[in-house]
Amino acid sequence: MNPTQAQLDACVTCGLCLPHCPTFRLTGDEVASPRGRIAAMGAVATGTLPSDEIYAEMLSFCLGCRACEAACPSLIPYGQMLVGAREQLAKDQPSFPGWLRRLLAGRVLNMKWLLALVTSGIAILQKLRVTRLLPRRLGLVRGLRPLRVFPHSVLGVHDHTPAASVGSVALLAGCVMDEWFPAVHDATRGVLQMAGYQVHSPERQQCCGALAAHEGAGGQARRMAQRNVSAFAGYDYIVSDAAGCSAHLKEYAEWAEGGESVAERTRDVTEFVAELIDRGLLPTFAESRGEVAMQDPCHLRHGQGISAAPREIVRAAGYTPVEIDPDGLCCGAAGLYMVYEHETADQLGAKKASQVKATQLTTVVSANPGCEIQLRAHLGDGYRILHPIELYWDSLSR
Amino acid sequence: MTLVDDLQALLGPDRVHSHPLELLVYAKDSGVTPGEAVAAVLPETTQEVAACVRTAARHGVPVVARGTGTGLAGGAVPDLPALLVVMTRVDPPWEIHRGSRCAWVGAGALNLDVSRGVEELGLHFAPDPSSEAACTVGGNVGTNAGGPHCLAEGTTVAHILGMEMVTASGEVVVLGGAAPDPVGLDLRGVVVGSEGTLGIVTRVLVKLTENAPAVRTLLLTFDSIRDAAATVSSVIGDGIVPAALEMMDQPTVIAVDAFTRGDLPVGAAAVLLAEVVGLDAAVDEEARTIERIGREQGATSVRVAADEAERTLLWKARKSAFGAVAQTAPDYFLNDAVVPRTALVDVVTEIYAIGDRFGVKMLNVFHAGDGNIHPLVVYDAREPGMTDQVRAAAEEMMRVAVAAGGSLTGEHGVGLLRRDLMDLVFTPIDLDAQARLRDAFDPDGILNPGKVLPRGARCNDFGMIPEPGGD
Amino acid sequence: MLKQELARLARGLLADPIPGAPEAEFTITPDTGEDAAAILAFASGNGLRVRFWGAGNHQAMGNSVPADILMATTRLDSIVDWQVEDLTVVVEPGVAVADLEAGLQQQNQAAVLPEVPGTATVGGVVAAGLSGWRRLRYGPTRDRMLEVRLATGDGRLIRGGGRLVKNVTGYDLPRLATGSFGSLGLITEVCLKLWPLPPEHAMVHVEDAEQARKAAYRPLALIETNTGATLYLSGSREEIEAQAERVGGDLVPGHCWPQPLVGDTEAVLRVPPSDVGELVARLREADIDFQAAHGVGEIRIAAEVDQLVELRHAAERAGGALVIVRVPPEIDFDPWGKPPDGIELQRRVKQAFDPRGVANPGILPGGI
Repeated sequence: MNPTQAQLDACVTCGLCLPHCPTFRLTGDEVASPRGRIAAMGAVATGTLPSDEIYAEMLSFCLGCRACEAACPSLIPYGQMLVGAREQLAKDQPSFPGWLRRLLAGRVLNMKWLLALVTSGIAILQKLRVTRLLPRRLGLVRGLRPLRVFPHSVLGVHDHTPAASVGSVALLAGCVMDEWFPAVHDATRGVLQMAGYQVHSPERQQCCGALAAHEGAGGQARRMAQRNVSAFAGYDYIVSDAAGCSAHLKEYAEWAEGGESVAERTRDVTEFVAELIDRGLLPTFAESRGEVAMQDPCHLRHGQGISAAPREIVRAAGYTPVEIDPDGLCCGAAGLYMVYEHETADQLGAKKASQVKATQLTTVVSANPGCEIQLRAHLGDGYRILHPIELYWDSLSR
Repeated sequence: MTLVDDLQALLGPDRVHSHPLELLVYAKDSGVTPGEAVAAVLPETTQEVAACVRTAARHGVPVVARGTGTGLAGGAVPDLPALLVVMTRVDPPWEIHRGSRCAWVGAGALNLDVSRGVEELGLHFAPDPSSEAACTVGGNVGTNAGGPHCLAEGTTVAHILGMEMVTASGEVVVLGGAAPDPVGLDLRGVVVGSEGTLGIVTRVLVKLTENAPAVRTLLLTFDSIRDAAATVSSVIGDGIVPAALEMMDQPTVIAVDAFTRGDLPVGAAAVLLAEVVGLDAAVDEEARTIERIGREQGATSVRVAADEAERTLLWKARKSAFGAVAQTAPDYFLNDAVVPRTALVDVVTEIYAIGDRFGVKMLNVFHAGDGNIHPLVVYDAREPGMTDQVRAAAEEMMRVAVAAGGSLTGEHGVGLLRRDLMDLVFTPIDLDAQARLRDAFDPDGILNPGKVLPRGARCNDFGMIPEPGGD
Repeated sequence: MLKQELARLARGLLADPIPGAPEAEFTITPDTGEDAAAILAFASGNGLRVRFWGAGNHQAMGNSVPADILMATTRLDSIVDWQVEDLTVVVEPGVAVADLEAGLQQQNQAAVLPEVPGTATVGGVVAAGLSGWRRLRYGPTRDRMLEVRLATGDGRLIRGGGRLVKNVTGYDLPRLATGSFGSLGLITEVCLKLWPLPPEHAMVHVEDAEQARKAAYRPLALIETNTGATLYLSGSREEIEAQAERVGGDLVPGHCWPQPLVGDTEAVLRVPPSDVGELVARLREADIDFQAAHGVGEIRIAAEVDQLVELRHAAERAGGALVIVRVPPEIDFDPWGKPPDGIELQRRVKQAFDPRGVANPGILPGGI
């Protein structure tokens, strides 16, 4: 629910978060800064000022990228506070647009059959080459990989290794990951198997609930989390190849009974595989295959503090990682943000695209589906955008 | 038409804030005192700033300029309800003059962005307050901001060659320029550090400093602050003017270590961060000298940063001190006093005693090289009577500093916070003269009223006519 | 009547006319700041114009100032307080720059005031806003002005700044007083920030000033005259040798600063540093004696008056100025050139300190 008094008090208004906040960088407006949002949350939580449209607008405009957390000297858990404040806002202001977003994030994404239907629909539009006729708000469709008309899911797969296995991994199928990025799952499964892991994608798992949580659909998020706690019981590790999901799984202690156990066992595929490479359990390719541009998903870099791992994997795959943005400014995807605050998302997406273009490279590596979609939508044709694990799997399978 | 109507007609509704929640968010800077804004505007050009000032004047509303609101003395917090002119969007493309090593930047440009922007030219903007990543150049000009590297380089004012400024009457003047010693009175010099009371600076011609070819950063630990301070005095007495000489006491190091996870010496009573820059030959020698002097004065360890990564970590530790302190308690009061370097140890000792007397918990961070102390009082405002204790302790500390030959503020500014203590340092005649200077720029008193000088600083306010001879 | 009153008030402070000084009915040498303030209060109240005099080295600068009273700083000649360990010195305006620096040198310190000051006083140099050749490294004089006591035009004795190397308490009056040419009143005391003197000093004669500027790391000065360009260095032996290597030249021990230009007409060009090279080429071509400070943008010249017109145009086009240091008295040449922007502000600031306009009236650009 609303951020706690202790969390709110932790902010000493030093302002060091401001330059890291993409919306502050775009607007120069305190109202669009983490410090400002915390002040607003405090005013509403204490009842000093009412929760109204201006408040809703302030919270909606935040990307939830958590770059501010990484910069905050007081270690304020801003991401958690935002999620709590949005949940409280949903209760205080159950308005039409918010209701729709919560429905989409909380229920629709969990309905595999509906997602499959939408996927088929988009696949057909893609084949007919009419995706560019979609309204700007749905511009994300232009950022998708070619989709399959007939559904495909990784749920239920059980990869046994020929030799004795070193451990069991539950692979998070994910909502859009499963339908729209099957190649990433293939790569993850391939690499983990090669390292000797049994990889299973439990049938009964659900969408991790990240988007629901971020939209303030707290009840939904908790339900999904609880189901996942039982679905993932018994595995040595839970691996996700979508940074947004691995970040959320690591916070399951807040979302479900028994959630700590999921949190402890969760690994993003990049950190998992990088460690295996470090320990020599997976090979490193020496030859130089060229340079690739590195994009850091916010929920990997800021949310989990992981930025070295994807680069290690890229190097191990025989490529040279090239930096595009020392500050790691959000690409603007931010879950459903790119649909609902599409103007701002477009500004940030264009900026990220120009950072890529400045390197003159045509291959971009990103460990999160949302980022990949945004990048492709703004870079246009002629770019290869993929997950670092795919790059590595590609080198492995040659 | 109301003020807000007029402003919206000028800037459009998106860049004018008047909703209570929006104004609440703008009520404070990084200091402790909130103020009240009747509206907040975000102009983008000098002309818009001038128009806002004229509009506010027409409505009889004072004007307070604000950067990113990282000031610690309440300079950007209205004393009387005022129009907040937020300068963060006044950031037109820079004009860099390579040959003259200067650049015109907007007041809304961030301090560190300027240095990063000219890095490939081998240059940087020297003033480096702890808030450098977040504060604006306009804010630096307003407070005459300092920072650790001002020891050898001087404060902001030494790096400002010119400025474009909107006056109280809403006109635009250009003061100074790239040529040395502009003719006439040095108004440019007086505007720096004037805390927004003489005009709103919209563009700044900043002097850029050459990057040093080599740097050595040392961390020395001591069993007492006295030993650390003695080292500082001896180093400077030896003829070395290091690029920076920063001191932190034990509670500060402990707090910062948690944030940086950086293996800082949490067992020491005081640590000294020293940095020398220049040619390799020079810095090696100076670093050796500092190490020798440190050991002579009882340093228990001397650590020299092995590479840029370690150097960055040591500095990050220093610059996060204030924020990291927030982990210790909900509120803090950051004091800023300055004393002659030779008085440092005695004053610091007294400051600790004051802390004990008033029952407040303290940390200390200081720019030891120039006698600039930042006693940081950590407390919980919700504890009854605590805030008053803290203020009383802070005032006592400033009295002690002044009594030792010091002054009220080395770099944060007078603002609201120290305004009413100005009489500790200046006579009524002095304050009257400063008030007349201010009135020359702002006869109607619409620019950030209530800052720097106490109310009634003009002797005429009380009907006092100064005696001839200034007595 | 008035004169009798003044004579009574200034009893003990009256002096004989100073040779070379402009004519004035009274020559007064105050002994203390209070004295100066009392005289100024009287003068201001009675419309008597006061002109200030140090040692007369820079009296020809600025618009000419008619005076009823010549106030000289001859007796304000003490070094009030030298805090060696704190690197600050409080000094009265009548102290000769040469004497001050010689004294400071005993403890290896320097105020970094002009290196070849002649008889110039601290007060004169500060009021005229003059800096030494070493400003490339140490910044202009105003960067070392920590505190000022001023007897204002209307006789108030005020203080601004503080005897501290770092201080932002109140408005920066010390900086305002620097280069104010006595228009605010008489500076009766200043506190200056000192620098330690490095152990060794040397010079390198260089062929290409631009190249030397890029190669050397923050030298003391890079001065070009008609005879060539010289890089001035100081520091430890190793440091100086490293610098010489970067620049590519031989070290000549010690410092030999350019001597004051001779001639009855001297001016100083002030231009953005990037314009120095071009102007120097022009001056060489016109065979004008010059001393140019690269990296600073200051060029001293001894030229004919008709040459000054064109040079002033060139300087002002570049965003700078040509300021007269001296001209023959019969020549009528605007000492300042284009007045600064915000002239109204200048006027009001002057009035804040000198409401009746008696302190060096009209000396500043715009007739302020």
